This record gives sequence, C-alpha cells and structure tokens, in this order.
Amino acid sequence: MRNLKVISGICLFFIFFAGAQAQRTSFLRINEVLVINQDNYVDDYGKKHPWIEIYNSSPATVDIGACFLTNDLRNPKKYMVPKGDVLTKISPRQHVLFWADNNPTYGTFHLNFTLDQDSTKTNFIALFDSDGRTLIDSVTIPAGQKADISYGLVEDGWTQQKLEETLRLNSLYKKGDKLWVYYEKVTPSANNVILDSNEKIENFKLNDADGLGMTLTAMSVVFVALILLYLIFKYIGKVAMDLSRKRVMKVSGVTKEQASELASESGALYAAIAMAIYETTEAHDAENMVLTIKNVARNYSPWSSKIYSLRTLPKKN
Amino acid sequence: MNSFLSFLVENIQTFFTYTGFVNVTPGHIAMIVVGLIFIYLAIAHEFEPMLLIPIGFGILIGNIPFKDAGLQIGIYEEGSVLNILYQGVTKGWYPPLIFLGIGAMTDFSALISNPKLMLVGAAAQFGIFGAYVLSLFWGFEPNQAGAIGIIGGADGPTAIFLSSKLAPNLMGAIAISAYSYMALVPVIQPPLMRLFTTKKERVMRMKPPRAVSQTEKIVFPIVGLLLTCFLVPSGLPLLGMLFFGNLLKESGVTRRLAETARGPLIDTITILLGVTVGASTQATQFLTFNSLKIFGLGALSFIIATSAGILFVKFFNLFLKEGNKINPLIGNSGVSAVPDSARISQTVGLEYDPTNYLLMHAMGPNVAGVIGSAVAAGILLGFLS
Repeated sequence: MRNLKVISGICLFFIFFAGAQAQRTSFLRINEVLVINQDNYVDDYGKKHPWIEIYNSSPATVDIGACFLTNDLRNPKKYMVPKGDVLTKISPRQHVLFWADNNPTYGTFHLNFTLDQDSTKTNFIALFDSDGRTLIDSVTIPAGQKADISYGLVEDGWTQQKLEETLRLNSLYKKGDKLWVYYEKVTPSANNVILDSNEKIENFKLNDADGLGMTLTAMSVVFVALILLYLIFKYIGKVAMDLSRKRVMKVSGVTKEQASELASESGALYAAIAMAIYETTEAHDAENMVLTIKNVARNYSPWSSKIYSLRTLPKKN
Repeated sequence: MNSFLSFLVENIQTFFTYTGFVNVTPGHIAMIVVGLIFIYLAIAHEFEPMLLIPIGFGILIGNIPFKDAGLQIGIYEEGSVLNILYQGVTKGWYPPLIFLGIGAMTDFSALISNPKLMLVGAAAQFGIFGAYVLSLFWGFEPNQAGAIGIIGGADGPTAIFLSSKLAPNLMGAIAISAYSYMALVPVIQPPLMRLFTTKKERVMRMKPPRAVSQTEKIVFPIVGLLLTCFLVPSGLPLLGMLFFGNLLKESGVTRRLAETARGPLIDTITILLGVTVGASTQATQFLTFNSLKIFGLGALSFIIATSAGILFVKFFNLFLKEGNKINPLIGNSGVSAVPDSARISQTVGLEYDPTNYLLMHAMGPNVAGVIGSAVAAGILLGFLS
C-alpha cells in the first residue's frame, strides 16, 4: 500500500512537472534582427536603433520577464528583462521587440547593450532562461550587414529541425534550405511571412477541386481507425471468452464444449435473471439502470459501532 | 405645459423606435415562424424535444428585433449575457463537454461483443464526404465544404465544434441543419431502408450479442482513445472527452463523477448550447441563400449516410458466413444520431417480424458512428484549418 502511494506520488510529480515545462520559456525564439537601422523603424522616443525581435512559438502565453538577453556569451546575465511588466507576457505566436540602444532607463524593452554596426564584424545575440544558465536561443549575425535589411528566420519561430522536416516532407516548399535569410522589407513586431491566404485550402482548391482526394484519404483513415479497433477488440474478445470458459470449467467442472457454450451466453440472459431477482427481492445496489448482484458485507466502522454510541446518559455528580 | 407635452411625445416616439414593432423585418418574422415550428415539432410530435425546445426558443430569443443602440443585449454584441454564453459555442468548449456526458451514458457492450459492426459505423461516414463533394460543386470553399459535410455525421456537437473552427460564419445554419435532420431521422431513414433491402433481408435474424466482461468495457475507452487519437490527434477534444466519460462510467469507482457527467453537466450544457445556437440565428445573419443551400446539402448528407450504411452491410454480408450475417436494417444506424437511428432499425425490423429485436445490434454501429464522425471531424480539422 505504501509502495502504491509512493508510485502515485512520483507519477503526480511528473505530471505537474511536465505541465509546468509546457508553459515555459523554451518556446521563445530570436526571430528577426536589424543591426543597421538607418532609415527604418523608430522607437517611442523617435530614435532609430538596432532591434531584436523575440517570437513566442508556443500556443500559450509566455512571460519573458526575468529572462536574460546578452551579446556576450561570457556574460549571460547582461540584461535581465524586468519582472512584473504586463507587456513582457507574449501572446501565443506573437512578438516583442527589444531596442539594442544601451539605454535601459528608457523602459523594459531597451537593452543595456547595442549591436556592433561595423560591417566587418559579426554580432552574437543570446536569450537565456531566468536561471542565467539555460540557453533558450542564440544567433550569430554574419558580418557585412546592410542598412535597413534585417536578418530573420525563414518562417516565424522555425528551428533547423523544422526546416529539415519541411524540406523532407514538402517537395513544394520553395524558400530554400537556409534557416536565416535577409529581409529587404523588414517586419518588426509582425510575422516574417505575412499569410494572406490559407496554404492548405489553396492546395486543396488547386489539387482536389472536386473533393475526391479528400474523400478517399479521409474515408481510408476512418476505416483504418475502426478496423484497428475491430481487430484489437476481436482479439480481446477471444481472450475474454477463453478466460471466461476456463473460469466456468473450474467452477462448474463441466467439459470444454459445455463451458464454451456457457461462456458465450448472451448478456440478455443475465439481464433477465438480474431483472427477476430485482423484481422479487429488490436486491441491487444504488446505481441507476444497472443491476448488480453483490454480497452484502457489514464492515466495521466507528460510525456504526455500538461501542462509541451514546447509550447511557452521563452521570450527574 | 406645451413644452412638457412635446417632451413626453418626443420621449414616447423615441421609446417606440426601440420596440420590436418598429424594427421588425420579414426576416425576423420568418425566423420566428421557424422557431415556432421547432417548438411545435418537439411538443406535438416529440421530435428530439431536448434539442428542439432549447433551439426553437433560442431562435425566438435571437430574433426579437431591436434597435442597435449599444445596449449589450444581442448575441453578437460583445459583453452581452447571450454573447458570453455563446462563447462556449464559438470557442468550441460546449461540444467536448457534451461528449463527456455522452461517453458517460453510452454502453459500448453491443459494439465490443460484435466488433465487426464498427465497420458499419465507418461506412456511414460517406455521408460527410458526399456532402463535402457536393458542397464544393455548389461553390463553397474547401473549409466551408468540410464544415457543411459534417452535418452528415448526424452529430450536433461535432458539427458545432468543426464549423466553429472551419467556417464560423456558417455555424448557425450548420447547427440548425444538423439538429433538424437529426430530429427528422424517423422521417428520412425508413423509406431508404425499405428501398435498399429485400423482404428476406429485413427478417434476417442476428446472433444474440454475448455478455461482455467488465474488463473489456474498461479496456475499450483506453484503447479507443490511444488508437484513434494517435491516428487523428485533431479529434482529441471530442474523442478524448467521449472516452474519458466512458471510463468514468465503466471503471465502477467514479460513479459520482459519471452521474454528474451524464446528468446535471450534460443537461446544463445542452440547455446553454441549444439556446445559444438558436439565438445565433438572427435573421440578418442567418437568412441567406447559403443557409438554404446548407439545408439542402444537410438533407443530402443524411440520405447518403443512411444509404451508404445499408449498402455497406449488404456488401459486407457477401463475405460473412451464414449465421454471422448482419441484418441490413441496422445499416442506417451507422448514422450517429444516438439512439434514434438504432431505434428506427428496431421499429422497421419489428414491422416485418414482430419477434426480431434489432435494437441491441443496431446500438453497435450507432456508437461506432459517434467515434467515426469524431474521427472524420478530426481529419477535416487537420486538413482544412
């Protein structure tokens, strides 16, 4: 019993731990960076500075507060995103923009470092979790950045794995095999790729205008699902009947054939017996619409114990 | 005195502009008549009263004409009481809760004892995809066609769930159409059952279902969930809740939870779902040519689903040994209007042989139809969302 409790406790711990993990910051991605902001997006102060866009690739809101942004791997805790600011909560599949202007007093989204605009040098940017040790995402911006051209993920929030998977599965994918690309039209605080149509639906309109492809595919899946269920329960049914036959043979001492007959008896027979017992003796439990025959056992309980009952009045002294 | 009188007259005139009598349009009247017909059908003919009364009355609520003065009374006005209740429909959380209740009240024994009946439930899903093909032909977009097609699944919560995701603007028409035809199953199915079967087939007797052990009943929702949702994860909200509800029922140790799921919970959600779906059919939003087309397609989808179920049984019988054959009259019950279509198998069967009880056999494909339509909805959602 004690072992069972320990096992249950461990299971519950894992469930809660996994649940907590699912909401964590590991879904954040450095999505787009503009190093040389010459004639582009301006901040609340009307100034042009390099900016870094962070994207929440998860389907839930993620708080970037208490995470760290840095341009120096040796100093991962260079800029801590302030805690307690409602604006640090990033909605699902949405962005926030940080200004690399070395002016942290300007607000939550102004970093205490800037990016090197020397076109011969690379820039490194990393996002660390609130422990300052767990690297969430990083990118090295190659040298030779041009003014007002950003460097961003080919699709919002994508990883190398996702790109490779897409290239493997979708031969129609036309955006090349590079995860990071240059954007002449920068998209600060917006999707890198603006979706003006539903690709899936367009695909169906183009390739399956009469719906036969969908019908064949979907009906095949429906049949496969139910055929698998059929096969599994056909097997389970056989096992259950075997067990039932063995039980009958053991209890009644009948032959295998007789036991098979009894084991495959219709449920209607038992229902009729149960109904008859119910109608004559009303022996059933409290469950609605279900007739169950159970042994009546009177278990000991202090609530029903006569020992604890107040049988005599307290004596008056 | 004069100015006071003119003030009163002006006030009365203003008040009058707010009344329904001034704002009424022929569309409102038409929808109110539809609502009254629903209520009449439910009370006088007992066609799905649990659904048609809330929906019919909801139609009346939704079609009381009023002046749009930002009073937060209409179902489409953000912050109104009706709008808040309607969120359960638009955000899709009523249907899974209904499925929880359905799971907690469904006995899968008939299906477990004769698992080949699952295939009949699968065949009836042709209604969904037949309607999908026809919807495309009638000019609907693929996502709209998917949402319309699901009417053929004969499952109101699934239809609402899928249309709220794929074509929210058509949801009212789709939900009304699905529930109307579910109520009209006793009218639609019997002629098709007679058309596609011979007299000999109608009196065919089936082997009585064997007794199913409690272990099998417990294993069913667990295996069912793992298998169907691994195959179609997008069906998780519906299938997950359906099988969860069933485990509550069959486990035998969560009786109180099962009682709540199949009692007060499903009743509450049915009331809210019915009345808000009904109220969402405001004439201005609902009375369009598309709605008429959806009603036509809904009828066709039910006809295709019923026919496919019956014809599949006849085809399937070609491969079954004598004694294991299936009475084609239960083919209609693959249409998952639980338990109405199974009841129709029984009624039509009894017409031809008063001692041939098909109800328990028909419950197999009937509940398989629920699983099949939820799987089909998951596929459509995965492909078209």
